[in-house]
Amino acid sequence: MAEQEEQPLTRSEAPVPGSTQTGRAVALARLLQRECSQLLQLYKERETFLLDHAPDGGRMVSLSTESEEPSAEEQVQLLHSALRQCLGLLHCLIKKEEEEWGKLEQEYETLKMHVKTRLERLLYTTRDLVGNEDGTLEVTPDHQCNEEVDGPFGLKMWTYNVLLELIHWADHAEKTLHVLHTEKGGTEEI
Amino acid sequence: MACLLKSTISKSDCRPFWVVVLLLGISAENTQAKTVLAVPQHVSLSANYPTQQLSISWFGGKATIFEIIILRTEFNETVFYDTVSAVVNQDGGQHQWTWTSVEPLECTSLSVKICSREGNARSEWSEPQILEGRDIPSNSDAQMYPHSKVVSVGSNTTFCCIVAEGMELKKIYYGGTLMNVTRLSRRSYATTAVNQTASRPSGTNVFCLPHGRNVISGAVIFVGYPPRPRKLSCETQDLISAVCHWDEGPDTNLQGNRTTRYSINNRYCPQKSCGTPQWDGSWTLVAVNPLGQYTLTDSAELDHRVCPVEPVNLTAVVQIFNVTVDWKWKYDYSNHELVCQVELVSSNTTLRNFSGKGLHSVVLLDLHFDEEYRVKVRCGSQKHFWKWGSWSKAVTFKTKPYVPDSPDVWLWVNRDSGQIIWKPLTRWQSRGQIKGYQVTFWSPGENEPSVKFLSAGNNFLSVNLTRWASFSGDNKLNATVTVKAVGGVSRPSNVPLRLTGEEPSALEKTVYTSSGFPLSWQHNGNSTCSYLVEWCDAFCMHDCPVDWIRLDAGKTNVSIQSANFQPGVRYNFSLYSCPSDFPVLMRRWIGYMQELVPSSSVNLETTQQDCDVVLTWDEIPLANRRGFLQGYNVYISNGSQLILLANLNIGTRTYTVKGLSGSTHKFTVKAYTSAGEDTGGTAAISMKECGDGLILEILASLGMVTLLLVTAAYFCYKKRGWVKKAFYPDIPEPKLPGDWSRTRGPLDLKPAPHSMVNIIEKPERDLIKDALIAIAEEEEIDAGDGIGDEPVDTDEPQSLRYYNQVVDERPIRPRFPDSSVSSSSSVDSANTDVTYTGIQTSCSSLVFPSDSQSPSEVFQPHHSLPVSSGDRGGGYQPQMHPVASASSEPLEEPQALSSGGYKPQSSWLLDSPREADEKMSPTHSLGSPTSVSSSQFLLPDGEEHKEERQASSSAAAWFTNLLTSAKP
Repeated sequence: MAEQEEQPLTRSEAPVPGSTQTGRAVALARLLQRECSQLLQLYKERETFLLDHAPDGGRMVSLSTESEEPSAEEQVQLLHSALRQCLGLLHCLIKKEEEEWGKLEQEYETLKMHVKTRLERLLYTTRDLVGNEDGTLEVTPDHQCNEEVDGPFGLKMWTYNVLLELIHWADHAEKTLHVLHTEKGGTEEI
Repeated sequence: MACLLKSTISKSDCRPFWVVVLLLGISAENTQAKTVLAVPQHVSLSANYPTQQLSISWFGGKATIFEIIILRTEFNETVFYDTVSAVVNQDGGQHQWTWTSVEPLECTSLSVKICSREGNARSEWSEPQILEGRDIPSNSDAQMYPHSKVVSVGSNTTFCCIVAEGMELKKIYYGGTLMNVTRLSRRSYATTAVNQTASRPSGTNVFCLPHGRNVISGAVIFVGYPPRPRKLSCETQDLISAVCHWDEGPDTNLQGNRTTRYSINNRYCPQKSCGTPQWDGSWTLVAVNPLGQYTLTDSAELDHRVCPVEPVNLTAVVQIFNVTVDWKWKYDYSNHELVCQVELVSSNTTLRNFSGKGLHSVVLLDLHFDEEYRVKVRCGSQKHFWKWGSWSKAVTFKTKPYVPDSPDVWLWVNRDSGQIIWKPLTRWQSRGQIKGYQVTFWSPGENEPSVKFLSAGNNFLSVNLTRWASFSGDNKLNATVTVKAVGGVSRPSNVPLRLTGEEPSALEKTVYTSSGFPLSWQHNGNSTCSYLVEWCDAFCMHDCPVDWIRLDAGKTNVSIQSANFQPGVRYNFSLYSCPSDFPVLMRRWIGYMQELVPSSSVNLETTQQDCDVVLTWDEIPLANRRGFLQGYNVYISNGSQLILLANLNIGTRTYTVKGLSGSTHKFTVKAYTSAGEDTGGTAAISMKECGDGLILEILASLGMVTLLLVTAAYFCYKKRGWVKKAFYPDIPEPKLPGDWSRTRGPLDLKPAPHSMVNIIEKPERDLIKDALIAIAEEEEIDAGDGIGDEPVDTDEPQSLRYYNQVVDERPIRPRFPDSSVSSSSSVDSANTDVTYTGIQTSCSSLVFPSDSQSPSEVFQPHHSLPVSSGDRGGGYQPQMHPVASASSEPLEEPQALSSGGYKPQSSWLLDSPREADEKMSPTHSLGSPTSVSSSQFLLPDGEEHKEERQASSSAAAWFTNLLTSAKP
């Protein structure tokens, strides 16, 4: 399934200024959202008990904004921060799963790596969109990975919540970047 | 007992004694119980949750047996109750006992009580000690236990689900299976999975769903196998350290945290191979996972376990067709004997082995010229070879071209055409890519030789030998072939030929064997020439795949073998002597590698000759025979099957089927080889009538006979006077002296009881009396028996009756015939069939007195006289004997005349009664008319037949008149 999608972008690709860059960021976020959904679908196919489980709706990644009505750029900066945490969560998930289960199904592992790469690429993109020259926007994972999970079953539930969080922030990234894209004169349809 | 002893003294004195004894006994018993069976004190519980074991310890005095009861605290349900023998800690006198719970210890609170016991006595129960479960109100969250247990495939596991405070359990699932549930406490529920199967790497989920909310609590269980590694082997590459390898064995189904951990000689091995810095000589591998551990060992000397590393920095230095390959070693093998394998890959792959101490260079000889090669090397220990090391990286090089070898040339002659043919050069012989061939041929009478250039890939040139030979006075021809290749031009190969025009000697058969076609010949002792045997498909006309082999001088036999030989193909083999100097054809053979049935059948034709059918057919063409024909089988078709008529040799191609009747006939002729018959040629023929000639022949023969008879009759008629004179001269009328009162009567004879009677002439004549002797063919004597007893009227052949008149000069004496016999005999005569073998009597004997018939004489033919007798009017007719009878039946004269029969006379003279008796004997009373002398008459016998004589005389007179009237 993953092979049918667009291949991960490379970091060496030069940023494209203007609405083209924002449009590309929107498309990238949309692709990330799709791949995260596919990853969750694969996960639920393996862990079928999750079909009977309703998430509690709590967020693992939170934003703290100083202004009540942030601008589009500020929102993207906040998004960038949230995506860094998401990347940290994903890194932690990969590590914990490796420790607990070893290598899992090939399709699941491959798609997980695609999501990781896509998320990293989106971070580079948002940094290029709203970052400063002094490099105040980092692209490294922002997570300590010190969660205590209650055994293997707790790890599965935590993984489920992480995947839900990734989908949420990928969706949020698409919307936020689309606002920026619109403000920068981009077309509605991307 | 004391009481018994004293009972003899006084019964009333015994009462106080019994009271004392009873009181002492009760007192002693109470004292013992209170001092020994102390209540267990200081009971303490220690839970091992992963193993679900509860360790109970207490101080219980000197007792060794205790009763322990374990209850679920909330529901006060007994989980365990038994008598146990506890281990005593010698230092402190503490007792300890361990109980393993089926359910996880977290599931619910457990209460433990203990009492001491000895015999039937036991102490009071100790105060209950409670192990709190996780279902206590203070822990209100939902939980599932055990959390992450690892168990072996096939085991059983009990899980418990503790629902959140205020919730009720809805379901418990094990994987996708809904489980049966047992309630342990207010919030705790248990279920057991039995005979568990192997789980996935991420384990099997066990979870419970409460009513009302989709909040899941669950656990993961991992079901797998203990480790089973195998094939541990340790080796060295640097001749110092050791590297061990092993096979993990069957999958344990356990990964991640539960994966198998390995260690070699107590060194942890993070991967599937592990090394030690020194050669320990023996190694122990320990494999451990949560389900168990497994140990493997290996030991060896260093020299026996050398596996060299891969050679590096391979280089190839090319000479013309030799190459030197060098390489380097990562470690110092200079003092170690190595064997190295070099793989050469060009159009094919070859392996060459080399050996030497610290080997690092080899020379590859005899490579093909102008050829690109790829080479790589690997090595092993020559002494105590263990295994090959890894292959080096491959290097590529190319050899140089060189002058090619001369080709092996031959001139194949096929009638007036020929081919200058040469064997394709091998890669080694060509020494580089071939560009083409130059063919030069000439004859002594030709001024300039003919030169032809052929491209690579050709290996023959067709030439017109007739035209070529016309230039040569002595019919000697020459041809040379040179090869042009990248590396140069080969030396020319010369092939001389003398066209003698002589037909080769007769072909001989050679029979293929497992070693080929065996050919042998006589060697000419004076000749020092070598030989050449050439062979090809006998029926190939163009571009034939000719092959040949050269043989040394003095050789007298060879077996020709070739992968190109095909079954059913006829091969010609030709032996030439002196192939390098105008070869001479010595002998020729033909043979089949394997004979097959002919591929075509004979063309059969049929021709009718009278009632015969002639089959003819042609030969099967040689090319279609596919074997040596051995003969033909001729069949005639009989409906669905063939019936073999003849097996003919190969030289016969016609066959005549005789004596066939009308209708259609189908014939099949099949030729056969040693492999069997072909399908056969078939022809049918519709027969025309073939019997007309025979009938005509028969008719012609009958006509000839008729003509002869008519001629004879005509002659007799014309010469009837002469005939009469010659055969029937007039006989004078007998002169009868005296009284002719003798009666005439028939001579009744009783023939043998056979239907066939031969009446033969009696050769010796009784001078006294003539007699007709009837001799039965068989059983003559028996035939005379019981004649007189014969019934008068029977169907069987009866007596023969003759009117034999015997003329006797002696006086005829009166006879006394038995009228009854006569009467019966007259009747019997009608049924008599007599075969007269001949009548030879004189005409005079047939002359009867012409006096008229006496009224008393009557002919009385039998009523049942056979018609055939009358019908045979033209033939001889036995006389109808007159019967002297008183019958009033009228005489039927016409019938008597119509018989027209000749009546031999019968005259019997009985000299004695004995003779009269003997007349009944066939031997004496029967006689053939041919035996009658011309001087005697056949007259009725005796006087009793007197009147018959008149009738006989009348018939004789009629016959005489006939002859008389026939006189010309």
